[in-house]
Amino acid sequence: MSRTDDPDDGRAGELPPDEAERDAGADAADDPAGGEYATVASREEKVDARSIVTGDARYTADYAGTVPDLAEAAVLRSAVAHGVVTEIDTSRAAEMDGVYAVITPDSPSVPDRPYTSAGQSYPEPSPWDLHVLRRRVRYVGDPIAAVAAEDTATARAAVRRIDVTYEEFDAVFSPEAAMADGAPRLHDADEVENVQPGADYERNVEARVAGEIGDVDAAFEAAAARPDRTVVETEWETPHQSHCVPEPHTTIARRDEDDRYHLVTSTQVPWHVRRQLAHLFDVPVRDVRVTKPRIGAGFGGKQSMVIEPIALALALAADRPVKLEATRTEEFHAMRLRRPSRVTVRSVVTDEGDLEALDVSVVTNSGAYGPHGMTASGAVGKKPLPLYTHTPNVRLEATAVHTNLPVAGAMRGYGAPQGHFAIEGHMDEVARELGLDPIEFRSRNLIGEGDLDVASKILDPGEGHGRRIRSCGLDECIDRGKDAIGWNDVDQPEEDHLHRACGVALAMQGSGIPGDELGAAHIRMNEDGSFVLQTGAVDIGPGADTAMAQIAAEVLGARPADIVVQPSDTDVSPFDYGAYASSTTYVTGQAVKKAAEDAREQLFGVAARLLDEPADALTARGGAVRSERTGESVSLEAIGYESIYGDDVRAQVMGQASHSTDESPPPFGAQFVDVTVDERTGEFEIHDLVFAVDCGVAINPDLAAGQVTGAMHMSYELAVGGGLSFDDEGAPEVCGFRDYGMPRTDDQPPLTPILVETHEPTGPFGAKSVAEVPTNAVPPALSNAIRRAVGVRVSDLPITPEKVNAALDTQ
Amino acid sequence: MELELTLNGDDATLTVARSASLLDALRRAGYTGAKRGCDTGDCGFCTVLVDGDPVKSCVQPAVRTDGAAVETVEGLGSQDDLHPIQAAFVDNAALQCGFCIPGMIMRTKGLLDANPDPDEGEIRESLSGNLCRCTGYERILDAVDDAAGRLARTDDVAADGGRPVPERRSCAGPAPGGEQE
Repeated sequence: MSRTDDPDDGRAGELPPDEAERDAGADAADDPAGGEYATVASREEKVDARSIVTGDARYTADYAGTVPDLAEAAVLRSAVAHGVVTEIDTSRAAEMDGVYAVITPDSPSVPDRPYTSAGQSYPEPSPWDLHVLRRRVRYVGDPIAAVAAEDTATARAAVRRIDVTYEEFDAVFSPEAAMADGAPRLHDADEVENVQPGADYERNVEARVAGEIGDVDAAFEAAAARPDRTVVETEWETPHQSHCVPEPHTTIARRDEDDRYHLVTSTQVPWHVRRQLAHLFDVPVRDVRVTKPRIGAGFGGKQSMVIEPIALALALAADRPVKLEATRTEEFHAMRLRRPSRVTVRSVVTDEGDLEALDVSVVTNSGAYGPHGMTASGAVGKKPLPLYTHTPNVRLEATAVHTNLPVAGAMRGYGAPQGHFAIEGHMDEVARELGLDPIEFRSRNLIGEGDLDVASKILDPGEGHGRRIRSCGLDECIDRGKDAIGWNDVDQPEEDHLHRACGVALAMQGSGIPGDELGAAHIRMNEDGSFVLQTGAVDIGPGADTAMAQIAAEVLGARPADIVVQPSDTDVSPFDYGAYASSTTYVTGQAVKKAAEDAREQLFGVAARLLDEPADALTARGGAVRSERTGESVSLEAIGYESIYGDDVRAQVMGQASHSTDESPPPFGAQFVDVTVDERTGEFEIHDLVFAVDCGVAINPDLAAGQVTGAMHMSYELAVGGGLSFDDEGAPEVCGFRDYGMPRTDDQPPLTPILVETHEPTGPFGAKSVAEVPTNAVPPALSNAIRRAVGVRVSDLPITPEKVNAALDTQ
Repeated sequence: MELELTLNGDDATLTVARSASLLDALRRAGYTGAKRGCDTGDCGFCTVLVDGDPVKSCVQPAVRTDGAAVETVEGLGSQDDLHPIQAAFVDNAALQCGFCIPGMIMRTKGLLDANPDPDEGEIRESLSGNLCRCTGYERILDAVDDAAGRLARTDDVAADGGRPVPERRSCAGPAPGGEQE
């Protein structure tokens, strides 16, 4: 199928009028400095860098010393994988010195209604199947009771003195076992609210989604009768992955002097936490305040509301502020994880190398509860499939299954790493089957600028044809990545048993969730010409606050240092959906740009009076507003003083805007791996990892490149390390960094990020997202490289020397 | 019990529980630069210097630092007068969420005090006890290399707010506490 065969009847060709207008307006407004962005797309010091390196930056736990009468907390968690608590005796704990409160599922301060820990839009596309504390336990780690005491040591000692008696049930640990006839049932459908499509709690199925474009069965039937068609089928498996989030989940909860609930908490989603706490504790949304201080990263782990309700229930029971800080053991099995997956891919391809059909079946292991189950499982297929959007017949079926293991949730990439491992591994197998170069084969079928991404809408067939690709630098990513890794000139080692090869895998993601995001921004001008910017953007580490300051500064002709960015606080900041789905720069960034433009219009009004020039002759740059006609200028500081203390009209300059959009332009990337494999042992050495990414215009290239290497590190860890294991009873065997095997400086291969810049017309100053896409493709690229080096395929992660060796032995 | 030590060059007395870790003692005293990441000595976010050596303060009993010289990140530069190591981390964009950074910086100081001109392999090995999940380590490795260069070009050890650098304890036996990987 050629690219001119456009499956879209309604939206082909030019941008719709509103978008065309927006683009035109943006182009003019984007360019106050006459061709170069003064601050956007340039290196700027991260706004919090100096506070971080001096230790001044405060994370939630660091506020403990500022809260009088603060209690510290610990949680009692289930010791069995499946069962019901028949008796809880808290008397020995409650009588200990220094213990302020012990709560169980029966305590008055503990809500008993179901909720989901998924911090998603309302109503959440996740089942409400969790309770704050539980008698019915479904995995080793389910919270049963909690203690607030004068310090953590006392709270933990008290937890150890709570006596629990269980009635144990049979447990299941794999999706296959959970869906089998006669398997123990985890959930009663009558007790779950907000049940998701395809749920079948009789068979422990949390959700099942499916969609099809064209006629896949017909394509396979036709292929069976034609010698010039090849059918390839592959199967792929991925394990649990931990976020290994540096700062453990931490919350300080209290009832404040106005009898409202105030939480200082390490969250990516303050507004969703506020709404969900209000629902759980049955109070108006306005009576909950969530403050996000500095966050020690999230990676999706803090898109879940896991500990906040326990801390708040304890604070109410103890009638004093409570700090709850997860232990590292809890981080590894009682917070959230990347969901294990099994993916089957079948395809039909012509002898020339054109894909005719793709049939993808996904089963994921949600664990005991269902946050993000349907959406992340669907994303396993939805994220990578658009790479090959010209394939006329595509089917995707995704099933999320409950087992008695820890709870999966959101994690950087959100299903895409699992999906890319399957699809990009499969594409190499197809190319190999046809005797084609893996890059040439991909390029023949690849999405490009101007194409319609049909496949992204595969699960919503009633809603039109998907998104138009307005920017795509994939070809350049491939070219530059190939050059950087040395694709065409790999030297073979002199030793006969060593074999060296490069592998490739392509990747894409989104920028926000189309039609399901809102970012808002408010900016006001101080009399000295500086600005205070409030957004709901939740900087969890990578530098959103800095990017927002740069965007506002660009519009206002100010220095980024003149923009004071306030951290998100639901009492203070405008609304935001939160830091997930690669949305912040793209969605909230556009809100900041619009709010700054609103403010600029007002300060032009003041400047017009001072300069006696019409406002439309003015531009803002270099800390001043100037008339292009006369060359006269007036400083932002003078405008600030005039607006507030002036003799004329006094009005503070305050801009505001919201931004929501149906667009979600994908960033694209190409991952390359250079590896040498020892055919005697299966041991392999990675010489370099290169990821070339098209993120549109990179707002602050330094920060963008840092996000790329960080995401590659996480992807590398998924490829070769990490993974959790459980004993026969479902108890976790990995409870710390040492067991988990997170890469350290001495075992992390070199990482080379390449920024390939395009201009995304719907993004702020041409930007789209970059945070997630580099998480997706080290596993397939490494598997493909090893396949090219020694001819064996490892299709289940992690890729270990033992697996390579075993495959070599059976070759 | 009372703990007498030299903290960032000043004499200090900390009241601590007998079972408290050095991390607990420091944080309770308001020195929150050292972060709690694992309580098992695996992540290195709590790294401080004890008598010049990098130590995981979460597994270091506080009582064993009685009489010792302890350095935390608070004892280096201030935001408007950064220590060269801190400046190198800022200028190399070697930080994101920042939770590991105080420990990384103290680890770096321990390394560069002992080995002012480490090669890349020595830097990688020295930093291997300190985890970072955000950066992929690349910028941090660059920053340490850069910091070594800056320190070599600086006659004074540091523009660290005028605090004297604690003398390394000279003792025949192994230092109490010390490295725990």
